[in-house]
Amino acid sequence: MNTLRYIAFRLMQAIPVLLGVSIITFTLMAATPGDPVRLLVGDRASAETIALIRDRYGLDEPILMQYFTYLKNLVVGDLGASLRYRVPVSQLITQHYPVTLFLVIYTIVLTLPPVIALAVWSAKRQNGPADQVIRMLGVLGLAVPVFWLALLFARFFGVTLGWFPVSGFGETILDHFRHLFLPALSTAIWVVPILVRTLRAALLEEMNRDYVVTGQSKGLGDRQIFRTHVFPNSVLPTLNLFAVIVAYLLGGSVIVETVYAVPGMGKLMVDSILARDYFVVQGATLVFALTTILVMLAVDLLSALIDPRVTP
Amino acid sequence: MTTDKIIPAALALMLSATVLSAQDAIRIASPNKVTVLDPIVSAAGGNIEAYGQLYARLLRKGADGALEPGLAESWEVSEDGLTYTFEMRDAKFSDGSLITAEDAAFSLTRVAKDEKSAYPAGFAPIKEVTAIDEDTLQITLQHASASMLSNLEIFNAGIVSKNDVEERGEEGAFASDPVASGPYMVKEWKPNDRITLTANPHYWREGLPKIQTVELIEVSDDNARATMAMAGEIDVNRSVPWAQVEEVNNSDGVSVALEPSTVLYLVLPNHDKAPFDNLNVRKAAAMALDRAAITEAVTLGNAEVANSTFSNALNYHDASLQPPAYDPAAARKLLEEEGLVGTEITMMITPSFEQLATLLKAQWDAVGFKTTVERVDAGLWWSNMAEGEYQVTVNWYYNETEDPDLAVRWALCDTCGSKSYYTNYHNEELNKLTEEALRERDETKRAELYSKIQQISLEELAQIPLYYAPFSIAYADRVKGLTLTPSLQWTLEDAELTAN
Repeated sequence: MNTLRYIAFRLMQAIPVLLGVSIITFTLMAATPGDPVRLLVGDRASAETIALIRDRYGLDEPILMQYFTYLKNLVVGDLGASLRYRVPVSQLITQHYPVTLFLVIYTIVLTLPPVIALAVWSAKRQNGPADQVIRMLGVLGLAVPVFWLALLFARFFGVTLGWFPVSGFGETILDHFRHLFLPALSTAIWVVPILVRTLRAALLEEMNRDYVVTGQSKGLGDRQIFRTHVFPNSVLPTLNLFAVIVAYLLGGSVIVETVYAVPGMGKLMVDSILARDYFVVQGATLVFALTTILVMLAVDLLSALIDPRVTP
Repeated sequence: MTTDKIIPAALALMLSATVLSAQDAIRIASPNKVTVLDPIVSAAGGNIEAYGQLYARLLRKGADGALEPGLAESWEVSEDGLTYTFEMRDAKFSDGSLITAEDAAFSLTRVAKDEKSAYPAGFAPIKEVTAIDEDTLQITLQHASASMLSNLEIFNAGIVSKNDVEERGEEGAFASDPVASGPYMVKEWKPNDRITLTANPHYWREGLPKIQTVELIEVSDDNARATMAMAGEIDVNRSVPWAQVEEVNNSDGVSVALEPSTVLYLVLPNHDKAPFDNLNVRKAAAMALDRAAITEAVTLGNAEVANSTFSNALNYHDASLQPPAYDPAAARKLLEEEGLVGTEITMMITPSFEQLATLLKAQWDAVGFKTTVERVDAGLWWSNMAEGEYQVTVNWYYNETEDPDLAVRWALCDTCGSKSYYTNYHNEELNKLTEEALRERDETKRAELYSKIQQISLEELAQIPLYYAPFSIAYADRVKGLTLTPSLQWTLEDAELTAN
């Protein structure tokens, strides 16, 4: 029951955060010069036509009025309509959000097994040859720019070998796994080293704790000490970093989405900013913020589950 | 099944699925987006390319570029050039209903008179469009217009269903599945991603189109499109950057075609702001530029150096003209005489002009300008242009038809609506000539008038023309008979896919 109350409390907290996010986005977009209508109707439209359409879309109202109208609609769950496509923002988000979510989860799935394997291997034989190699590869993985690696993968695995598609999202679940493999892999290569470093450091620290010696003196095997005590204790700091990385992956998806022509949220966001499609930018930002809040909440709950001392 | 069997099985499945791809679908990737399906509300590139497939016009262009009957079987023009009478053909919309003169009158009245019409310039002379009977359409003009017929072929003169628009309302009719009169209709539209078209079974040209499905995919990144083409995931890459032309030609199964376009790259000086309000400064800026070397460097020899303020693909382009020749010493002397050596200028550019801007800056600075480059995105660029908030900039433009009337109204005539491409270039005589040339129905005389317009605008350096860029489009070998016309229309209805 306590946990449920905690979750409700955290979700209540999200409301002022989202409100703040919406105010900042609205102000920033309003302060950005450039007219969405001109981009919409094309270069050759006359000033009169542009003025007419601006008026029709309510873009000539004072900014504060526009914001309150927006807020009023938001309360009843209406995110507004895209200026550019004349479809509801919710439709655009329903179309693009699952793609990015799939990509982020896929990246995580590709990331976790190597992170655990490499960190444990590395920590168990500290400064051994495997540890050295893993650390060196880690630096390499961090140093390589994602967009460059993505391009390289596309050319090699997609064009030369023809193993994986280099663009799009596909129609079926199986298609999604194929189409997003290279984007997820390119991202994972950058995420894995970060998490390996943290997890390895935590493992090393925990392995030298007194409770390990206590366990050994009580006759527990090294394997068991590692599995039931050292590892769970080491996971916490990595888990918190992981939450930050997931939030970052959501926003950073635009890089791989561009290189692999994946129709996801990152692309929608950037295109909408360039087109000054105010309500889409606004809606997308809120969805990003909400996702981040939920991921953080999930990680906090998970931490409490792993370590009873952490009270939610 | 255990895990170690599932993984190889899944891999095998994934690989086998790569091989499957429909033979009757063509996939075209373009950086230009389709954003709205109502042909009158936008004149942006991506929309123009889609409108042409969805909405047929009264006239169409044949393979040789000549006007041919489209939805109108025949037409007559009255002696005074003020009345056009069209006989409609027995054609049907994609929903099976008849395309009548009533529909044509409705559509053309919308584009000419509706206040939402994004680009009504070509239809400005129209007084009235009326359906005399089911098959006869009459257009009356306020004054003669030599370009009327060719303007009736451009993208926004497409015929839409009056019944459907009245039934579902404008918003509903064009939301996602408009009733089509062209070779294709919408199968599925995913905004900001792709639009899938499928052959219109009722299209009036029997047996056409041959390709059943067309996917217009929006891919903004040049490298992504190139990789997709090489991996065989698209059949057509709408825009191949000059630096990639050779690479594409060297890869198997795909090659680049350089197709004639009316695209003209040019330097746009603001005539309302110092120092470019001064003709001598514009001359100096023009003479400072080695335009041949710039063209070679930027387009790697794929474009032609421009000689006029008209694109060389426009009718009446005057090949005998030349802007001031490259002469940095004389350019410097001009600046010295004006006491303007060291004058500071700001060149506003969008990101795609980085390379060109570097070359322009180097050559201008060499003769005594002090150039600062200001980078803006397209949204800000257009706002600054419309407000006249810039000194000098570079861009390009194209024209929807080979007839030069609309190009002149857009780029050189300041009273025609867009302040001479927002350069504020003003010449009374040129403005008069524009109206005269539109009304002149004698070919030879019209050519003279347009030649005069080119002379004046070049002498006064309304703009500094740089080069004529062809479309560079990559086609997979299996695509036959597809081109993009200078009016930005894919010839999809005549194209074919061969088995390879």
